[in-house]
Amino acid sequence: MRSPFAYTPRSGPLQAASPGAAVAYLGALVAVAFLYSSPLVLAAAGVAAVLAGYLAGAGSAVRVALRMGLTLALLVVAVNALVVDRGETVLLRLGELPLLGRVDITAEALAAGAVIGLRAAVTMVGFAVYSACVDPDRVLRALRPVAGRSALTATLISRLVPVAAADAARLRDAGRLRGPAAAPLGRAALARRLLTGSLDRAVDVAATLELRGYALEPPRRPRLMESFGGPRYPKSFRERSRYDRRFYAVGALVLIAAIAGKLLGADGVHAYPTIEVGVPPATVALSALVVLSGLAPMRRKAPRTRHA
Amino acid sequence: MPELATRARAAPVLAIDSLSYAYPHASRPTSGMLSPQGGSNIDLVLRNVSLTLAEGEFALVAGRSACGKTTLLRAACGLVPHFHGGEIVGSVHVAGIDAIAHGPGDLAAVVGYVAQDPETQIVSTTVAAEIALPLEMRGDPPASRARAVEEVALALAIPHLLSRTVDTLSGGELQRVALAAALVTRPRLVLLDEPTSQLDPVAGDELIWLLRRLNEEWGVTILLAEHRLERCLAAADRVIAMDAGAIAFDGSPRDFLAWAQQADTALETPAARLFSLADIDPLPTGVRDARAILRKERVGGPPTETCEPARPAPPPSDRRGFRSGDPRPSPGAMAAEARDLWVELDDGVSRGDVLRGVAFKIARGERVALMGRNGAGKSTLLRALAGLAEPARGKAKAPGGIALLTQNPSDYLVRERIGDELPGDAGLAALQIVGLENVVDADPRDLSGGERQRLALAIALAGRMDGDELPGLVALDEPTRGMDRARKRDLEEMIEGLAASGAGVVVATHDVEFAAVFAQRVVLLGDGVVIADGAAAEILSGGWYFATEVARILDLPGVITAEQGAASLDPEGRR
Repeated sequence: MRSPFAYTPRSGPLQAASPGAAVAYLGALVAVAFLYSSPLVLAAAGVAAVLAGYLAGAGSAVRVALRMGLTLALLVVAVNALVVDRGETVLLRLGELPLLGRVDITAEALAAGAVIGLRAAVTMVGFAVYSACVDPDRVLRALRPVAGRSALTATLISRLVPVAAADAARLRDAGRLRGPAAAPLGRAALARRLLTGSLDRAVDVAATLELRGYALEPPRRPRLMESFGGPRYPKSFRERSRYDRRFYAVGALVLIAAIAGKLLGADGVHAYPTIEVGVPPATVALSALVVLSGLAPMRRKAPRTRHA
Repeated sequence: MPELATRARAAPVLAIDSLSYAYPHASRPTSGMLSPQGGSNIDLVLRNVSLTLAEGEFALVAGRSACGKTTLLRAACGLVPHFHGGEIVGSVHVAGIDAIAHGPGDLAAVVGYVAQDPETQIVSTTVAAEIALPLEMRGDPPASRARAVEEVALALAIPHLLSRTVDTLSGGELQRVALAAALVTRPRLVLLDEPTSQLDPVAGDELIWLLRRLNEEWGVTILLAEHRLERCLAAADRVIAMDAGAIAFDGSPRDFLAWAQQADTALETPAARLFSLADIDPLPTGVRDARAILRKERVGGPPTETCEPARPAPPPSDRRGFRSGDPRPSPGAMAAEARDLWVELDDGVSRGDVLRGVAFKIARGERVALMGRNGAGKSTLLRALAGLAEPARGKAKAPGGIALLTQNPSDYLVRERIGDELPGDAGLAALQIVGLENVVDADPRDLSGGERQRLALAIALAGRMDGDELPGLVALDEPTRGMDRARKRDLEEMIEGLAASGAGVVVATHDVEFAAVFAQRVVLLGDGVVIADGAAAEILSGGWYFATEVARILDLPGVITAEQGAASLDPEGRR
């Protein structure tokens, strides 16, 4: 069974974009969620991330991330309400509870928890879209010349995680097939066997990396090779996409607008001591811009061509 | 590096001289140093090996399990000693580069290596990135990489896979991708360690002939280690047979067959055994060669020729393959049944029907081979019978219980003492069934491959037996992967013993020759549907890919083994 967050090659603009452009775009949406506490802006960032995911064909990743994110948000709201005693609007007095002491549930603590939870949910959706749409091989390739060891570690992990998951599934199956008189599989035995198996697998993967030349010095840049008399290749082969500019531009626009809005007071939300929510026109405008940015992965309609 | 490149072009592709090697932690009887001759040291994996491969040779490494084939290949690509450590004497030069002084990374430009398990030799997410990785490591620019990837993908007929992620590929596709990654740097030497062990007969044959084509058209030198010699002997120029870490034979395929006839019959191919039993010379290296010899010698051969079989085929069998003398199940003693069985699975891309209305029965005491290409639904059928796969429609049941042994017996072994895996009297009874009752205190990791398989079967059987009576069905999924013929004989005996004790035995296998020996009946699956179900002799002689080598040579109905084939030929051997 494949994880919904696993990268799936598709022909959409977000998948075609270089990792830098995709990270700039999705990173801007997540940055907005971290910069703002306004529920309107947070909801707009969430809608934009969901839209981007659906338009990029990562609907199942978005759905799973939303489910996980909203569950986490509810948990954060509950925990925040129980542990934070700030806020003037007391909704419920629970009295003295073991470990927590005197607990008053306030509307402000609930609201503050909801903001944190929403922020976490937006971040999860953003990362889900990244995971399902950005080719990890291209990210590692971009990382390798600047951080060879980190790239090696990331390569090993990115390969070993699915292999270990497959091993675990097989071991569990074998556990179900053990006869009733055989010692049961047991979690400790399974964990130990998985660990030793993973070490063996890691050795095999490391051997393959060695054979592929991973131990060689980091790859030289093509242009440097050309200047030393190496063969010349067309510039069109540099790994870029025609969508890069779009994502860089949208990401920059969203980030600049968010920073400017923050400076101009578009984030007029305070939870304590009483809830204050200001919705100035700047907040509405920023929210509209953020929602619209979710359309960036939309594919342009192909022009009609007449066939002879 | 330029100096290395110059040396690479001038020298033989592989030159090994007096090579002896021991893995780290191998126990030594006396001193710690290896003797160059490797003489009496019992822990040496390679003993005084000397070997030279010229440009463009296609060499096959033969030998029983653990004879040193894999270690020889690892030494030729630098993994031994650089990656595995250990003690080594002698020299290994690959295209003029000293493999002991330089690591596998330096050798990557001149040698490609494909290991047995494709799962562990894939390190990227997408196929295109996996194939391009060695070029990227070498610093090739994107345009050069793109061209090389395109060319190697076309050569291996996998351009349609380039944009796929590796976790959506079948075993055969993964093996091709691993081969593409090994070939993309245009190495002078390609090393392959049992590359067909996980492939069905169709994909296995395709891979061998693909290697031959690359060898002829690209001039790539091939060093291939294999157990299924009948599959690749005809493609090879030379055979190197190993025994206990030393080279026991080095010569042409035909001379190898003559040597194997005297020195180790476990290395004989079915075709060679057929000719040997029928007293026909010379021994054939493959089906085409055998047919040509039969034509020349005017011996009873294929019906397409003018010759007719001089003797009738072996005694006819009923639809289930029982002959007189075979133990027959008592009427109504059913071991397993599938009725209109549909199973839907997610292959990582979409959900689809893996089994489509399968219907069949297995009787107690019956020995059945379940065959079909990779992805035909064999494992899913066994999993459905064992309750691991939920039917979407229909029923799968094994009324007397089922003991299923999946493809990797090590998955059943999770403790460090056999007695801890199988405690109590019921555990001991299961160990007695497989003949391991005397090693209760041993560590499962110290057992041989065959013993581990038997122990895993005991774990699956434990508590499912009614006194001495076995469960109704014993199912084995691809049990002969990586096995030499001697170990297959042990397995065959075990299967016969289980069936004689009253269990129905079903074995999912790609190994046609093994099926011909143990099975009474063959069920052939194609794309989730039963496409043939009948006596083994009938099914394994009626096709091309799912037919034994003897059946392909003689093309006589019902003749699938060398013994049957020899009996079908003219008693004088000539016509």
